[in-house]
Amino acid sequence: MSVVIFFLMRLAPGDIVDILFAAAGYVNESDKQFLMKELGIDKPIWAQYIDWLRGLAVGDFGKSYRYDQSAWEIIRPLIPVTVELAALATIFSIVLGVPAGVLSAVRQDTTLDYVLRLVSLAGLSLPSFWLGMVIILGLVAWFGWIPEMTYISPRENLPGHLVQFLLPAAAVGYRSSALLMRITRSAMLEVLREDYVRTAWAKGQGSRAVVWRHALKNAILPVVTVIGIEFAFLIGGLVVTETVFNLPGVARFLVEAILWRDYPIVQNLVLFIAVVVVLSNLIVDMLYGWLDPRVRYSS
Amino acid sequence: MTRRHLVGPLVLTSFLVLVLIGISAHAQPAKAPKYGGVLVGSPLSAPPSLSPHEEATISTVQQASACFNNLVYFDPAKRQESAETLVPELAEKWSWQDNHRNLVFFLRKDVKWHDGKPFTSKDVKYTFDMVRGAKDAKGKLRVNPRKLWYANIEAIEAPDPHTVVFRLNRPQPSLLLMLAAGYSPVMPEHVPVTEFKNKCVGTGPFKFKEHRPGESVEFVKNPDYFVKGRPYLDGIKWVIIKDRSTQIAALQSGQLDVTGIGWNAANVETAKKGNARLVVMEADSGVNDNLLINFKRAPFTDARVRRALNLALDRKAYVVGPRQGAATFGGAMLPRPSGVWGLSDAEVKKLPGMGDAAKQKVEAKKVLAEAGFGPGKPLKVTVSTRALAIYVDTASWVVDQLRQVGIDATLEQIETGVWHPKMTRRDFDVALNLTGIGIDEPDANFLENFRCGSPRNYSDYCSEDIDRLIAEQSQILDRAKRLKLVHEIDRRLQADGARPILGWGKQYALLWPHVKNWVQHTNSIYNQSRMQEVWLDK
Repeated sequence: MSVVIFFLMRLAPGDIVDILFAAAGYVNESDKQFLMKELGIDKPIWAQYIDWLRGLAVGDFGKSYRYDQSAWEIIRPLIPVTVELAALATIFSIVLGVPAGVLSAVRQDTTLDYVLRLVSLAGLSLPSFWLGMVIILGLVAWFGWIPEMTYISPRENLPGHLVQFLLPAAAVGYRSSALLMRITRSAMLEVLREDYVRTAWAKGQGSRAVVWRHALKNAILPVVTVIGIEFAFLIGGLVVTETVFNLPGVARFLVEAILWRDYPIVQNLVLFIAVVVVLSNLIVDMLYGWLDPRVRYSS
Repeated sequence: MTRRHLVGPLVLTSFLVLVLIGISAHAQPAKAPKYGGVLVGSPLSAPPSLSPHEEATISTVQQASACFNNLVYFDPAKRQESAETLVPELAEKWSWQDNHRNLVFFLRKDVKWHDGKPFTSKDVKYTFDMVRGAKDAKGKLRVNPRKLWYANIEAIEAPDPHTVVFRLNRPQPSLLLMLAAGYSPVMPEHVPVTEFKNKCVGTGPFKFKEHRPGESVEFVKNPDYFVKGRPYLDGIKWVIIKDRSTQIAALQSGQLDVTGIGWNAANVETAKKGNARLVVMEADSGVNDNLLINFKRAPFTDARVRRALNLALDRKAYVVGPRQGAATFGGAMLPRPSGVWGLSDAEVKKLPGMGDAAKQKVEAKKVLAEAGFGPGKPLKVTVSTRALAIYVDTASWVVDQLRQVGIDATLEQIETGVWHPKMTRRDFDVALNLTGIGIDEPDANFLENFRCGSPRNYSDYCSEDIDRLIAEQSQILDRAKRLKLVHEIDRRLQADGARPILGWGKQYALLWPHVKNWVQHTNSIYNQSRMQEVWLDK
């Protein structure tokens, strides 16, 4: 993974020194060589790769070329912002999407089902950044107010912090909830037709027990898979939402770092995203065993 | 006295009373400035660093200027920058000596750096030795975009802690203006220049507080500022908002006091529509759109081909098209009345591309035919440009204009990271470029962009005659005589198609009425951000 991250980045044309000189509007070869040496990018790529790995092994993430500051110091404040936004969006999507999917399946082909399917279709069709932009423009047009555009730390002002995060989380979570709703619905429709569900109804069990305890528990596996994938996707995929709501998160900074060819920042951020993807998949796999004991027994 | 006779005196008296009321209303003293408050603004982008000498972007100058001082500065209160609007800053006074071969600065004695160390002439010598790349310089800039400005300095001496002498190879009155630029602050000798990537130690009205990369830059009032009673503000906060719509919404909602750099006319209109109370300041930006024609690559070595390209571009269509009305026509120097050195209106109207579009296109085709190109053998041209919207919009328009005269033009978008290396290698036919001029001064412009061998003379235009005239104008002390020669150079540059200017873009500042003393300069955006006079009427 580290090989792919490291070498793929270097396929892009130009490097930080080119960008610095581009910003200054001229190129001077001797100054360029001096700067490349100072930043260590005059070495062969494999040597730079080994330097990076060696640093990682001792917790040294390198130094940002652009800011001349420890990469970890720059990355550290970005991570909680993105993780919190992704987590809130995921919670929002679960709270909205799963019950809606269950209801839609239980009330299949009723008006409620049609309405919920329409709402979910809208959620899938509307890009979350567009929705975010509409929310911002609507708020400023009607109330002359928008959430704070400078990051508010939860330690300084918790209510302000939550207000700042809830709207982008809702914008992103709505799209995810639509996906969850559709997955839940189709999984539930399948399970509701199973013999054991029919047996439960025949035994006279209450609808709450049949639907939520028997049916949903068996229908939830694909939903959990999608939740895991969505969360991992959100960690690196919130570029536009973070930009629209001006939140200092991982994805927005990653794009900036790519444009500046700030390799130490890019490498470490991509590595972080890759680790989150692996971890969320691991957690999903572990949840499988907890939710469905058959998975444990078969293994 | 009859009633009829009374009418005249009554009308006259009423008129006088109204006039007096009007006069008294106008004669009310201007509102006294208030102290306090933090000005919140949103710049064009995050600053690449807080080291103005190493950068060529308004983002750094706008955000870092409040931390520094220059020897001299352009009066922030005067809209047009010129030699007449220079005011002292770190230099109490200055004097040209030895027939303008020596420029002597007498420095203030009450100035301290933000870390408490005293400011002396050594700091001035250190700064400008570093910028001009002197052999014995104590510091080295990683990137040095304005080294050329100081090429005429033979030596800098600091005979005592409060006197600095700039010894010149030849007279150069423009040096004073270059020293007044936002790009020319004095840096402390005791702080390594590399530290200015993320922080700032200056003598200016505001001290550095915090830099969150890509997020914000904050300054607080310098209580020991040498100008007594300044600044008025308690602080300045620059918030980086990358999305234009969010920036507009943040301004309209009152989260921002000021923004607008890099906006186009449509952005301004949108913001005003949302809140009519916003104040719009429009000015010329000192940035021009121009065409780079590779003088070293055939067939552009043929003057007829270059002339055809120049004639094909209808400048009036450029203003209403890609610039949406937010541009002015001109030559190499910023047009008047905003600029000081620009050609007169009558002369601008005579420039290639300014005439009747249809006739000029016919002439362009004729010239191309003379050069051996026509419908059977069309001239093939690749128009290169940076892959940024502001470049691509105009470059697409250029392609369309060239096609209208039978040129087989195609657009090539170049990543920012490889744009200047490509230009420096002269690896292009024709390119659409934007050139920002730090100060409205012929030396700053001609030396950088038109002199033979200059690193930024990407077209490789080279005329010994023009070089001689550029050197000659630089030494002329009489303003009127110099202006005449500058016009002569400009006319010839345009006729030669050295770097055909399409026009000069407009720049905007949008602010709330409570922001006072924010003066938008008309001929540069780079030299007005000291902020010591700005106050908030809240």
